[in-house]
Amino acid sequence: MQILLGTLLAVVSVIVIAYPFLGSKRYRVVSETFVTRAKLRAERLRIYRKISDLEADFTSGDLTEHDYQQQRDQLRIAAAEILKQESGVSISDAKRDEEIEKEISRLREQSATSNEAPEGGDTL
Amino acid sequence: MADLGVMALLLGVALSAYCAIGVVIGEKMGRAALVVSARRALYMTAVAAAVASGALINAFVQNDFSIAYVADHSNTLMDRAFVWVAFYAGNEGSLLYILLTLSVISVISVWFAPKRLARSMPWTIAILAIIQLFYFGVLAFVASPFELLDTVPVDGRGINPLLTHPGMFSHPPLLMGGLIAITIPFAFVSGALIAGNYGDDWVDVARVSAIIGWGVLGTGMLLGAWWAYTILGWGGYWAWDPIENVALMPWLVMTAFLHSIMVQKRRGMFRLWNVALLNIAFVLAQLGMFINRGGPVVSVHSFAASTLGAIFLSFMLASLVFAFALFLWRMPQLKSDRAMESFVSREASFLINNFLFLAVMVVTLWGVLFPLFSDLARDVSVSVSAPYFDRVNGPVLLGIVVMMGIGPLLPWRKASARSMKQWFVWPTVVGLIAIGVLIALGVQRPVAIFAFGVVAFVATSIGEEWWRGTTARHRSGDNWALAWWRLVNSNRPRHGGYIVHISILMLGLGIIGTNFYQQRTDGALALGESLVLDNYRIEYVDNGGSSRPDRIAQWVEMSVYEIDPDDYKQEISFAKAQGSSGFTLKDSTLRPNDELIDTIEPWHGFYIDFNMASVRSGIRSTVVEDLYVIPRDFLADGRVSLAVSINPLAWWLWASGPFFILGTMVALWPQAAVEKRPTRKRLKGEPEGDI
Repeated sequence: MQILLGTLLAVVSVIVIAYPFLGSKRYRVVSETFVTRAKLRAERLRIYRKISDLEADFTSGDLTEHDYQQQRDQLRIAAAEILKQESGVSISDAKRDEEIEKEISRLREQSATSNEAPEGGDTL
Repeated sequence: MADLGVMALLLGVALSAYCAIGVVIGEKMGRAALVVSARRALYMTAVAAAVASGALINAFVQNDFSIAYVADHSNTLMDRAFVWVAFYAGNEGSLLYILLTLSVISVISVWFAPKRLARSMPWTIAILAIIQLFYFGVLAFVASPFELLDTVPVDGRGINPLLTHPGMFSHPPLLMGGLIAITIPFAFVSGALIAGNYGDDWVDVARVSAIIGWGVLGTGMLLGAWWAYTILGWGGYWAWDPIENVALMPWLVMTAFLHSIMVQKRRGMFRLWNVALLNIAFVLAQLGMFINRGGPVVSVHSFAASTLGAIFLSFMLASLVFAFALFLWRMPQLKSDRAMESFVSREASFLINNFLFLAVMVVTLWGVLFPLFSDLARDVSVSVSAPYFDRVNGPVLLGIVVMMGIGPLLPWRKASARSMKQWFVWPTVVGLIAIGVLIALGVQRPVAIFAFGVVAFVATSIGEEWWRGTTARHRSGDNWALAWWRLVNSNRPRHGGYIVHISILMLGLGIIGTNFYQQRTDGALALGESLVLDNYRIEYVDNGGSSRPDRIAQWVEMSVYEIDPDDYKQEISFAKAQGSSGFTLKDSTLRPNDELIDTIEPWHGFYIDFNMASVRSGIRSTVVEDLYVIPRDFLADGRVSLAVSINPLAWWLWASGPFFILGTMVALWPQAAVEKRPTRKRLKGEPEGDI
């Protein structure tokens, strides 16, 4: 019985690992374009999160207004650059800004910080 | 069940070898189907490990004593609930448990890996498969839990009595699981480096998987301390034993990593440093395996009879060479393009805290390895005991707690004098008030008083930050609870970290109390006699026993009275003159102000087959202090020999556990959007199939 179960396990394993060679699906190595797009998207989301965190840091007094503005501008430029790369050069500056604002607002809402008020710190 | 177990292990060897080779060849030759096939082989290794584990557990349930491991770690008298404990009670079973854990978490982490890591995943999978191959190989060919006995015994030897404790259901699995879980972030980062992915794509995955391993390991250590406190009869919870230390060291390094990874995430700095920390943590975890599995350092709970030391030493050295060769190879590309702007900033405080964690790790490592070096160099056996660790690590640990209060209050980049003043005034004032109050109350020991002040400072800094954030939200309309909840939700990693900091402060209170203010006394009592220590009188009122073929157990019933020291003035003066903190009373007459507050029943068992004693301490625990009674021995004249201590603030040690777990969970809970798994909807350009 045990030998039978062991053999069954081996057979199932062979079928599972052989299936990609035998099945109807055709696999291709992930294209460079796809990886680049996924990375750009992830990087853009990370920048949105950073902007959201930056706002939280600013309101909690962890950042001066000067640093906040400077870093926020840098991040917005970086996000716009990524959006440009993702969607080609056709997208207008205004639309990019709108897209960035929309995403940040969405993040803010999800983090339940939309009603956040300043909390003190050296910026106030 | 032995045949099925052996077959599953051999299949695991074949699958992990195929996975490691196939995924690399597939990646190098651009054969996508081979990469997918190899990845599926990794999934099947988890099935093989689960089948082998199931076969062993079933053998325990069936009392299959033809298997040597089952005969060595259970018997027919063993409570069936302890089958789970018996599974990992010995060397071979614990290795199988580690393999099962590794294979399952490997599958989960590979399955949920973000798409942006697609290029480096084959290398990550290869690293995981090679590590699994090592464990499958050891289990299949060197230390098989399915080895058969020539002669089948009628009954087994039984489970190690020290393991028959509720803590054993979770302490060893968590400890072993936490150590092996360090493999996951290590594999992701190493895979990324091999593939030439030098960016921060791996940060979120490494952080989340590191928190899981770190949280599990920390919880395991805390449960181990609780187990030692209640069952071993040491009267303590942490003995700087080599096996405790080899779990602590990677935990310390991972703690450092979890702080510095936030700097990488937020400021794009410390990339090189973070990779180095993960490498160190992984190698230290392998060192732990080596020392635990027949390494040269003797410990109270290592598998001393194991002969696997050389194998694990080789694997540890191979890990060390691989990790740091890869590090050196990719070092130029990992350098950060940003410099630290000020030493008065959050990133600088995290760096200092990292150095302090590493300092404790190095001191502990030296204490673990020194006996080995001494043995080799001078042929003299020495042991490094608790006083060394306490004296050297104590001040550094206090420094870490200080930084725990300072770091979170500092802003990123650089702090201004105004912000420093604004944030540090209240914590400093409260810390100084705490010190003043303790001095006014006549509390002795300056170092401990300072440490209490530091705890107050850090607690106030956390409270202040929560207070400001919560009141701001409360002013805008939320009720207090909702306002605090929203504050925590706004940045879960940060506020989860604060909850963990609170648990560390609670732990700190317990450590300060028990280390600086413990009172102890010993005595042998006959029925009706009492032992007096501080404000307690413990009277020996009854005893009993029970016997089983494998165990002789005895217990004593003791009434605990709270006393008025004025009633015992004469005896206390006499005891003090003798240099003793407690004394014995032959007379059973109670004094006017004696008040019965509790009854405790410490227990002492002797396990014949193991020639081993095991105790359950009698503990009366309150928030202020524990009365802790260890029954050392039952003497021939009917008296019971006792060790009694008062452990101030010990309760806080165990109360810290739920906060530690809660904080870890909060920090771990995914933030919206960014850490969510990318959608399965196929993007333009994404290939078909499940690659």
